[in-house]
Amino acid sequence: METKQEKPATPFKPPRLAASAALGTLNEIYYRDLANAKQQGRPVVWITSMTPIELVYAFDGIPFFPENYAALCSSRKVAEDLCKAGEARGYSQDLCAYALCTFGVMFEKRGAFGDEGPPAPDILLATQGACMTHPKWWEAMQRHYKCPMIIIDAAYTVDSDTLSPHHREYYASELKETVRLMEKYTNKKLGADKLREVVTFSDQASALWDEIDEMRAAVPTPISQIDVFTCLFALVTLKGTKEAVEFYKQLRDEVKMRVDNKVGFVPNEKFRLVWDMFPIYHNMRLLNYFAEFGAAFVTDLYGNAFSGRLNVADPYGSLADRYLSFFMRAASWGKAELYKKRIKKYHVDGIVFHSNRCCRCFTAEQPDIGNILRDELGLSSLMFEGNMVDPRGYDDTQVKAKIESFIEMLEARKYPKK
Amino acid sequence: MKHSEFAETYRNRHKLAEGWKKSGKKVFGYFCNYTPEEIIYAAGIIPVRIRGGSENIELADTHLPSICCSYMRSALDQALKGKYNYLDGAVFPKSCDMTRALYSIWKRNIKISYYWNLPIPGKSNDAAVDFYIGELRLFEESLEKYTGKKMGDDSLKQAIKLYNENRALVRELYNLSLRDDPPLSGSEMFEVLRAGLVIPKEEHNAMLRKLLPALSSAKGSQDGKVRLMIAGNTFETVELLQAIEESGANVVVDDVDIGSRYYFSSVNENEEPLRALSERYLRKVLCPCKHNAQHRVYHILKLAKDYQVQGVILLTQKYCDTHLYDRPWLESKLKEEGLPVLVVDHSDIGWVGGKFKTMVQAFVEMVG
Ligand code: SF4
Ligand code: SF4
Repeated sequence: METKQEKPATPFKPPRLAASAALGTLNEIYYRDLANAKQQGRPVVWITSMTPIELVYAFDGIPFFPENYAALCSSRKVAEDLCKAGEARGYSQDLCAYALCTFGVMFEKRGAFGDEGPPAPDILLATQGACMTHPKWWEAMQRHYKCPMIIIDAAYTVDSDTLSPHHREYYASELKETVRLMEKYTNKKLGADKLREVVTFSDQASALWDEIDEMRAAVPTPISQIDVFTCLFALVTLKGTKEAVEFYKQLRDEVKMRVDNKVGFVPNEKFRLVWDMFPIYHNMRLLNYFAEFGAAFVTDLYGNAFSGRLNVADPYGSLADRYLSFFMRAASWGKAELYKKRIKKYHVDGIVFHSNRCCRCFTAEQPDIGNILRDELGLSSLMFEGNMVDPRGYDDTQVKAKIESFIEMLEARKYPKK
Repeated sequence: MKHSEFAETYRNRHKLAEGWKKSGKKVFGYFCNYTPEEIIYAAGIIPVRIRGGSENIELADTHLPSICCSYMRSALDQALKGKYNYLDGAVFPKSCDMTRALYSIWKRNIKISYYWNLPIPGKSNDAAVDFYIGELRLFEESLEKYTGKKMGDDSLKQAIKLYNENRALVRELYNLSLRDDPPLSGSEMFEVLRAGLVIPKEEHNAMLRKLLPALSSAKGSQDGKVRLMIAGNTFETVELLQAIEESGANVVVDDVDIGSRYYFSSVNENEEPLRALSERYLRKVLCPCKHNAQHRVYHILKLAKDYQVQGVILLTQKYCDTHLYDRPWLESKLKEEGLPVLVVDHSDIGWVGGKFKTMVQAFVEMVG
């Protein structure tokens, strides 16, 4: 190719969000509360993503997400060692690195900050609704911590847009059973008012997240993918609290101001891309590398899986709908359909698939999702291999070379030379 | 009847299926021990297990990342090459993340007129059994629509009876391995088991009925060998069992998906058929996809005791998450109980016999 992409000499740095300061504070408070939970008599509940966190807050518990914590370990560059410690106990390197890293934390009592790591769980709560790793991983932790464990079943329905009533009923009965067990294990009664309050906050946080997500359609797009992934923390960990709602209001206002003033996070936005699935926590800066070529990520579905509207008039029914129908559960064509809508609305030029080598569950269908989008919309795609948490085996030079030729191809398609 | 005829049957399975098609029969492929085959059979359709192989992958890699188990990669590859063109239908029960994902990949890329995705609960309590009955009913209705015929309790009951007969016959065969001189080697047994997955049960039953008397009276060929058990998931490489035999050992019992896990537990014939099916599949098939490792430990220990096993080979397909999560604990538990354990990562694609043989030889020497 005769034109090489021009790149500025210094690496790209997006403008800082004012809301990041608030997020930092939330983070600090959360980890302080977690550390003090036992003294305050609050149960520490280790949960997986896609488990109804609302129930944990309704019981005045503190949810702890090993997935999120493994991501933290990865960004602090201690994940590789922790994964190796998991392997030393017989767990395969091919397993989900969230789990592997947590095994390291668990066996070695070593945390992200060279500390002892999180407080041990009082209750282990998981779902079967996302991947098979979750229940098997939780069982392994239960054998170690020997604390009560609740696994919520959520039978898969990949082929239907509408859930059949017996799926909802089954899931609702699982939720009620969960409440019964939580009451037993925590020695507390679930208050109906408290549940309504939590459900309301959860719904409000999701509504705000959706609003922010919609605003990313603006040209130029107002917020970077790194910021989106970072700000997801409150939706993952604090959903159901007032603090999360306050934070997303602030973020929404800031993003809106950028949109109103046509401020993009990339100075000269040339290409608009979709990011498929997991962040790379040990190398988040890779996302900025795209920005060096004027390429901005304008949407992803990953973050949206954590948002879901609820109905305070029907807490259990709406929790069932929400946790049975997040997008990851759709078949490849269902996921492609969701992307297709966004590709038009967000003026997308291409899609980037991070083939996360340790998550079979959500990489298996990526090639076909790309095939569908290529066949039906002529969309260009890039796929590269990595591991969200464990840096071993990741080849930054090769990935960057792939990115460069992808951008060249986009350039030739979008801005052809006369 | 010799065990080699079973091997022959398995080798010719695609030809056989094409033959049934010519005679006007319908053939459905299915994955995994969680497919209630009885319902397919009761609809007048021949269910056959979709299997992989050990040939190199040629076409599947553009649809499926190489970090998936060799079973699923290979099965997809064979289908893309047209080896499964005879299938009228394909059934994907949701057991592991792979059977879920491969449903959409097959449906989009392999032209088969009927596809069914079967949600399966992850629990086996009463609510789960009831839920699963609902799913089985939906499946039944869909098959009725497909064939244009009502199924009726009678045909379902008959199918259950036939499948139970098959299970009972295979158990008789396993019982022969309780002897100090089992008449079949593990690899010969494997062929018998494997054939049963790909032909109609009445045919497998007829073959077993001929094989059994001959074996029961014969003097065993496997006298004096080190008695091993193999536990894990699926595999296609019969050579690994032969390698074990060449090392002076013999697999006398298994806990693998096409062996005891498939053949051992029967369906209660005195219960309402769908309920009985739901209970059997959810409660008696102890696969790590649906059951805590604890359940399996007891099961494996019991088998090991009954069959006087001297060591256990834990054989896991590479990239098979559910088994891999349970394995370290399983290993430690079995060892605590005094059973020597050999842990093996397996891939049917690119299997390296020499490496495996060295490991097994050392293991056999140690336990023997
Ligand atoms: S990364 Fe994949 S395997 Fe790991 S917890 Fe998430 S969905 Fe499950
Ligand atoms: S080998 Fe494991 S991952 Fe593969 S289909 Fe079987 S259970 Fe699933």
